[in-house]
Amino acid sequence: MVTPAKPVLRAAKPVLRAAGVRKSFGALEVLRGVDLTISAHQVVCVIGSSGSGKSTLLRCCNLLERIDSGTIELFGHDLGDERIDEDLVRRHTGMVFQAFNLFPHLNVLDNVTLGPRRVLRLQRGLAEQRAQEMLARIGLADKAAEYPDRLSGGQQQRVAIVRSLAMGPRLLLLDEVTSALDPELVAEVLDLVGELAHQGMTMLIATHEMGFARDVANTVCFLEGGVIVESGPPERIFGDPTEQATRRFLQRIVNAGRL
Amino acid sequence: MLPILGPPNAVGGPGAGDEEPISLYSSHRPRLRGKAGTAASTVSTLLVVALVALVLTSPAAAAFRNGFLNVHQMWVALAGHPEEGILSVGKGFVLNIWLSLVCEAIVLVLALGLATLRLTRGPVLLPFRALAIAYTDFARGVPVILVMLWVGFGVPSLNLAEVSTQSPVVYAGFVLVFAYTAYVAEVYRAGLMSVPRAQVQAARSLGLSSRTTLSRVVLPQAVRNVLPALLNDFASLQKDTAIVSTLGVAEAVHSAQIAGGVEFNYSGFTIASLLFLAVTVPLTRYTDHVMARDRSRRLAGMPA
Repeated sequence: MVTPAKPVLRAAKPVLRAAGVRKSFGALEVLRGVDLTISAHQVVCVIGSSGSGKSTLLRCCNLLERIDSGTIELFGHDLGDERIDEDLVRRHTGMVFQAFNLFPHLNVLDNVTLGPRRVLRLQRGLAEQRAQEMLARIGLADKAAEYPDRLSGGQQQRVAIVRSLAMGPRLLLLDEVTSALDPELVAEVLDLVGELAHQGMTMLIATHEMGFARDVANTVCFLEGGVIVESGPPERIFGDPTEQATRRFLQRIVNAGRL
Repeated sequence: MLPILGPPNAVGGPGAGDEEPISLYSSHRPRLRGKAGTAASTVSTLLVVALVALVLTSPAAAAFRNGFLNVHQMWVALAGHPEEGILSVGKGFVLNIWLSLVCEAIVLVLALGLATLRLTRGPVLLPFRALAIAYTDFARGVPVILVMLWVGFGVPSLNLAEVSTQSPVVYAGFVLVFAYTAYVAEVYRAGLMSVPRAQVQAARSLGLSSRTTLSRVVLPQAVRNVLPALLNDFASLQKDTAIVSTLGVAEAVHSAQIAGGVEFNYSGFTIASLLFLAVTVPLTRYTDHVMARDRSRRLAGMPA
């Protein structure tokens, strides 16, 4: 008798898996054995003081930096493999920067369509139509023809996020995306990122916004001295951290009135 | 904690200024405004006019006018006088224009390649970078006229089949391209370096190739940043086509020289100068205009 095979529920391959990642700049060892796993639709927030290696970790994930040892697997592929095409890695991995880094010589629409047109080879009309739709969804439809320097920091950063999303990334790397913003502009950017999390975007986020990390993250990692000292669900990391270093760090944040 | 501020009322201390009164009045003479300003500008204008009038009415001025500003002689030089062997400065100037346009087009392409080469890292390119640096140093360090004489008279004397039998215009073009590629490459290089690395990283993070990043992100910003310098060099190249006269090519300056020799009147040089000015002055005005337009367009947020 033949019984129909039961569907086997396999654990989905993690989107990103880092193991023993080390990275030095000259004599300065920034990452000293980082382990990290991100599953699909997960949001992982990396917290830690300035210079703890948060940005470096993110930049290693889309090959803006090359790691010295250890492995990073992206979508199941070892980034250390010499056959890896870094342009393909980046096409599927969006990155948003602290300083927005919009292209100042292009208007908002051209900023968003540059990647789709030049990398995905979309027709101009189609790329612009999609860009317009995305801009409309974040309430910036009327800014399509503006140049970046005419926008507020918050608007620029939201355009930068849309520019990344226009490539249809499977993983989004957000590098302290609110650190360069005036306090009153932080919320609009965090709201957009929260919305992306809600819609199931897989994200690795380096942030100083503890409240945001608590609300939006599935996992919070505390990075200090180039290693992830402690990681876990936000309730535990913020509510009852086990490591002394984490407690000290959070105490400093609380003292500064930022949590 | 050590006090950051000094003791009270010391310089930089808390409450400093309570003791010593502080003056906020300028010690400079106030700028003339209103009626006083108008009167002052009238007086200075009159002084300058008087000075110019004095120079123009002096005995030397008549000789000057006849020798340099003789309208009839200008016309003779401009149109040429074949029976007396006077070449047309006007026709010659067409060659200057044509030569500068062709050279500029070649220079813009070669210089970009050179600048990119100098900024590209890679072990294979190392000897080429060294060559590029040597070339740039040489081309920028030696007077153009020297290279012109060297190539224009030297190369034909070598009696090499193809190379030595070209027209002087070809040698002249080669020398101008040789000299200006070095300058323009340095301008490009400054422009390329003025684009922040973050721009490259943002572009590469979208998956753009290094080539597309260069052409779509870095180069447009680089050229925009150095456009005035590029147009400056173009104006300079346009003027330096005059050096071609040393090879006996019948361009504007050489023609004016002939006219001067035949007529013993140098108004031909004046008309040649006016022709050069007619090109370079609008070019510099255009440069200003482009800069202003670019600025206001970006500030006004109009589509490109």
